[in-house]
Amino acid sequence: MKIFNLVITVICIAAMMSCTLDKTDYEAELGAVVTDEYEFEEALSLSGNGYQISLEALNGTFFKGYNELRFNITDTATDQVVPNANITFLPVRTDADDVAYSCPHRYELAYEAANDHYLGYAVFDHETAADARWEVFLTITIGDEFFSVQQEITVEPQPNMNLNMTAFTGNDGGQYYIALIAPVSPGVAENELIAGIFRYNQPEVAAGDFPDPSQFSFSKVQNATLLLDPRMPEPSMGNHSSPNNQDLIQGEDGLYHGVVNYTMTGNWTLNFMLQSSYGDVIKGTEVPTDFTPGVEGEKSELHIDILF
Amino acid sequence: MRFSIAVFLLATLKIMGQEQETPLDSVQELKEVQVTATLKKKIETAMKMNVSVDEFLASSDNISFIKRGAYAWEPLLNNMGMERSTITIDGMHIFGACTDKMDPITSYVESNNLAAVDITSGQQGSSNGATIAGSVDLKRKSTPFSMQPNWAGTYQTGFELNNEQFYNQGNMAYSSRNFVAEGSISYRKAENYTDGNDEVVDHSQYQKFNTSVGLAYKTGDLSSVRVDAIFDVAKDVGYPALPMDLWLSRALIASATYKQFFEDGIAKVWDAKVYYNAIEHYMDDTTRPENLVHMDMPGWSTTYGLLSKIHLQKNRLSSEVQLNAYDNLSIAEMRMYPQDRSERTMFAYSWPWVTTQYAGLSVNNSLEVSEQSVVDFGGSLGVNYNHSKYVDFNWIFYPGASQEKTRWLPSLYAGYKHKLDQFDFSIGAGYGHRAPSVSEGYGYYIYNSFDRYDYIGNPDLKNEVSYELNASAGFRSEKFSLGANVNYFYIQDYIIGRILSLGSPMNYQSVGVKGYTSLDYATLFNFSLHSSYAITSDLHWKGTLAYARGMDNDKGNLPFIRPLSYQTSLHFQNGALGIQTTLNGDFEQEHYSPEYGEDLTPAYTILNLSADYSFTLNTYKTVLQVGAENVLNQYYSTYADWGNIPRMGRNFFTSLQINF
Ligand SMILES: [Cu+2]
Repeated sequence: MKIFNLVITVICIAAMMSCTLDKTDYEAELGAVVTDEYEFEEALSLSGNGYQISLEALNGTFFKGYNELRFNITDTATDQVVPNANITFLPVRTDADDVAYSCPHRYELAYEAANDHYLGYAVFDHETAADARWEVFLTITIGDEFFSVQQEITVEPQPNMNLNMTAFTGNDGGQYYIALIAPVSPGVAENELIAGIFRYNQPEVAAGDFPDPSQFSFSKVQNATLLLDPRMPEPSMGNHSSPNNQDLIQGEDGLYHGVVNYTMTGNWTLNFMLQSSYGDVIKGTEVPTDFTPGVEGEKSELHIDILF
Repeated sequence: MRFSIAVFLLATLKIMGQEQETPLDSVQELKEVQVTATLKKKIETAMKMNVSVDEFLASSDNISFIKRGAYAWEPLLNNMGMERSTITIDGMHIFGACTDKMDPITSYVESNNLAAVDITSGQQGSSNGATIAGSVDLKRKSTPFSMQPNWAGTYQTGFELNNEQFYNQGNMAYSSRNFVAEGSISYRKAENYTDGNDEVVDHSQYQKFNTSVGLAYKTGDLSSVRVDAIFDVAKDVGYPALPMDLWLSRALIASATYKQFFEDGIAKVWDAKVYYNAIEHYMDDTTRPENLVHMDMPGWSTTYGLLSKIHLQKNRLSSEVQLNAYDNLSIAEMRMYPQDRSERTMFAYSWPWVTTQYAGLSVNNSLEVSEQSVVDFGGSLGVNYNHSKYVDFNWIFYPGASQEKTRWLPSLYAGYKHKLDQFDFSIGAGYGHRAPSVSEGYGYYIYNSFDRYDYIGNPDLKNEVSYELNASAGFRSEKFSLGANVNYFYIQDYIIGRILSLGSPMNYQSVGVKGYTSLDYATLFNFSLHSSYAITSDLHWKGTLAYARGMDNDKGNLPFIRPLSYQTSLHFQNGALGIQTTLNGDFEQEHYSPEYGEDLTPAYTILNLSADYSFTLNTYKTVLQVGAENVLNQYYSTYADWGNIPRMGRNFFTSLQINF
């Protein structure tokens, strides 16, 4: 039965043929705007007093926003990694008027024995501009040896909106910074949301020799609550929100942890209200919950826009 | 691409043949035994010779329809929707690929490739898979082997005035001692219809192409193999009640069957089948410029399955044992385009790659206790497994919900039938479980334009459990018959959407979010009365009256329950001429459910008329029919018309059938 076999073959071929329109590749869809392929690479190399200091950042670049930093220090003579040094780190921005500022950072680096490196971070609040530059100042104490190095760096614009940051003056007059740390590449899912919240410590003493760390001191805000209300600002989404979000509270690492649910990909606004440990609102306003199709969603005065 | 293959398949057929009512040989002599089912024969209604599958089903007592337009009506069995009934084609499971239920299984066949529809109420229908309401099995045409080589064919064409529907259908079959080849092809195209106020109902057009092919080969005196395929394409189909239309829907339904008869022993016939079907469904809203948001909503559904059925008989007991297994993957996507098209699109899955696997074993028995009485009993046990690939979507509303879920689905029933002279009675009871459907379990922001809520599935819903009672009584004399059927369902953990206090709508037309939830219970009562009378030998009268009531555990009304309805028809037949008229309608829908978007639907009555004449055209038996539906051009919509869209106004139709 030739025809019989032929027809069976034809049916099988037809069955295996692909669809008219392709299905969405979900993993590629999530990676369309942000990649989660980040690796620590050397961003800066400094030398002094016979030591080589290497500074690693994600993708070997300093970005506006939260940057985790890893420092290595090696003795050039012996090519040995130097443990237990005391290193201080200070980023300073000098603007067109020659005024110096800093940004939230870890001043005294922590030595991590397991990885033979020193950990720090910096929340650069501006990119390098034509008339404003960033410099890093390091002091290193190894035993009774002491030296310092400094180097200009370039802070690039943040390519990933999920790592955006905002700086603002609180209702208490303080200077605050909120920087997103995770998720780096969110999904249409429950995402653990991690943010750092920092405050500038007003100097109590007059400035000493530049750079005087007492003039550039920041600390993590303690025991505050960051109230979260995510929305899709897109006018056609009519102020769409998501369920089961959790406000951010401080974890043992000093950072703030919460949960954000993204119901679909696209532009989202994280509306915040920063509440002090006493319950006062430091910054932020409530957003209306009205469903407003066709109108761009209202935002809290304290918010960060993300996109994935 | 698939289209050309279908054409090719038909071309192979054309080289072969024609058919006629043929003498049977041993393979056909044993007819399949219908243990429980009421078989609806002949795909035409009293009114109309050429009907769509929907129109045909609508003529059955316990089927009603949710209508979203002129095409692809959603069948309700015993006033319950698709998720509560099992709808199969020759026992094959097929799952629609549309989250908005634009494509019930019945939309993938055509009246000219069906031979009959098997409707079984309640748990007696569980042999094809777990069910609450019962089962609807669409039986495809299957030409028997014949002693002499034989060719047969039918050509049918027709026109309907109201929506300018034009259709052409052809069937061809060749049969011989050990080989059968048959095929059908059908094409319908309809424009927008006009309602009873002579206003055009926009977006009610459709185009449907359907073709089927079947090849059977006798592998021995008592055995045969058969392969079948249906290919269906619907294009540019409007759904006036929905905010979107259909750009394209395609289905390929293929199966291979082996049949073995036994001459001796208690086993009479064994049927084994493997099948595959793939459905793709692409909605289109570019036809609706008034929509604020442009969306793409494609859906895919692929099913593999197998079926093995053996019919046993010993003395007065006949049994059917059936093994049923399938694997389905349902995918539906949703992509919204921002007003500024340079911005990023917004993507989500409305069915996050949901796999359903089912395997069940069922036994149906029929025991003749005496000449007058029969006991039917049986049951099934199924195992149902679900897996959601992108369970993150389900976790947004139900954090930590199970990604995989296995459920046991038992079913039991028993019934007793007794015949006493001209009277017959039956009583029966049933118990059965069903698993939540893909949308109920895993649906994600599925917009329901009827109550205007976005629906969210819950993977951890409990099984719905049905306790069912049914009874019937009838009287039949030479000229007169009268019968009544009643059934009652107590459904525990009844699944229905309830407003969630969580989240906010995603669709701009939506007013809120509903989650599928289990009510403690719901009850459903169906009653029908039917009668016929032969006024003279030429003139016959038939009438039906049906009533249903559905309530939740707070005595609130369930949605889509048919109000008191009636149908009465007169049929006159004299030689070659037949004339029929029917009057049907619903009473006012008193028990509507505002919670689910229903409002009070007023009563309506529709009058239909038709006449047909049979003659021989060049030795070919030919039937010509003309008629009119909704003769009085009533403006009406029924209780189950989505968004109260008006039904078709007066419609003249004509059709011609040539048998050769
Ligand atoms: Cu659809």
